[in-house]
Amino acid sequence: MPELPELNPVIHGKLRLALLSLLSGVEEAEFTWLRAKTGSTDGNLGAQLLKLEEAGYLTVEKKFVQRKPQTLYRMTETGRQALTAYVQALKQLLGAAIEN
Amino acid sequence: MANIEEQELKDRLTLIESMIAEGRRTTESWGWVFVLWGVAYYIAIAWANWGRPSLAWPVTMIVASVLTGVLASLNASRQPGTTVGRALMAIWIAMGVTTFCLMLSLGITHRLDSHISVAVVGAMLGTANAASSIILKWKMQFVCAVVWWTTMVAALFTSENLTAIIFLTAIFLCQIVFGIYGMVCESRRNRASEARQGASHA
Repeated sequence: MPELPELNPVIHGKLRLALLSLLSGVEEAEFTWLRAKTGSTDGNLGAQLLKLEEAGYLTVEKKFVQRKPQTLYRMTETGRQALTAYVQALKQLLGAAIEN
Repeated sequence: MANIEEQELKDRLTLIESMIAEGRRTTESWGWVFVLWGVAYYIAIAWANWGRPSLAWPVTMIVASVLTGVLASLNASRQPGTTVGRALMAIWIAMGVTTFCLMLSLGITHRLDSHISVAVVGAMLGTANAASSIILKWKMQFVCAVVWWTTMVAALFTSENLTAIIFLTAIFLCQIVFGIYGMVCESRRNRASEARQGASHA
């Protein structure tokens, strides 16, 4: 019987998974846009984004636009590969569950 | 695997799918740009006929470009950057710069007449609308491209008066009417998106 894959714990968190999925569909996104799409609080969102950044799954750029601070997030190639691997593992686990 | 765990994994897959779709769903608003440029064309035509023709087109086009740039940058700062958005922007900026340089050069060298100017505008707008409609898979915008291509051909085969009437009609249909239609579509899409987000946050 083949060994079942383990799910990446960094991505498995619901909010972190939602953030990575959102960022995979865009080139870059602002903090406020991510907050609106996930309905999360500033503190929680900031903490989860930091975890993803520390894992190397996204990069952050802070700048001023029309004198207002803007924080932009971009998904890295490592992040994209990790999300793809996570989805494959998820499908494999679900496939095993259906077979059982 | 317990049923509860299996359901959780399925929920994760659904979450990924819905978030990717939400990210790609553009909420950018561009209908107003068509209306603004439609009005700008009418102002330039009226000014050229009853005022100073040499100044009318360049001044109106520069003012319209600056207005578009300022309003678009205010709108874009709230939206995430997407590849589709950048592709569409590239098409319209390239078309705008090409048309402006070509018309200005033709005007300065006295090679521009009403037939040529309408044909050039028709060709450029037909190309940009067609490219955008193919990217967005938007049939209504492709209809606009066909109208502009028809205008381009007609401008070279009809009288000056008829060319003017065809041009004014094309502006009305493809800029004013299509722009308002685009704004209505965007408003409906944004309302639906807000409703979806409200449901998912509940």
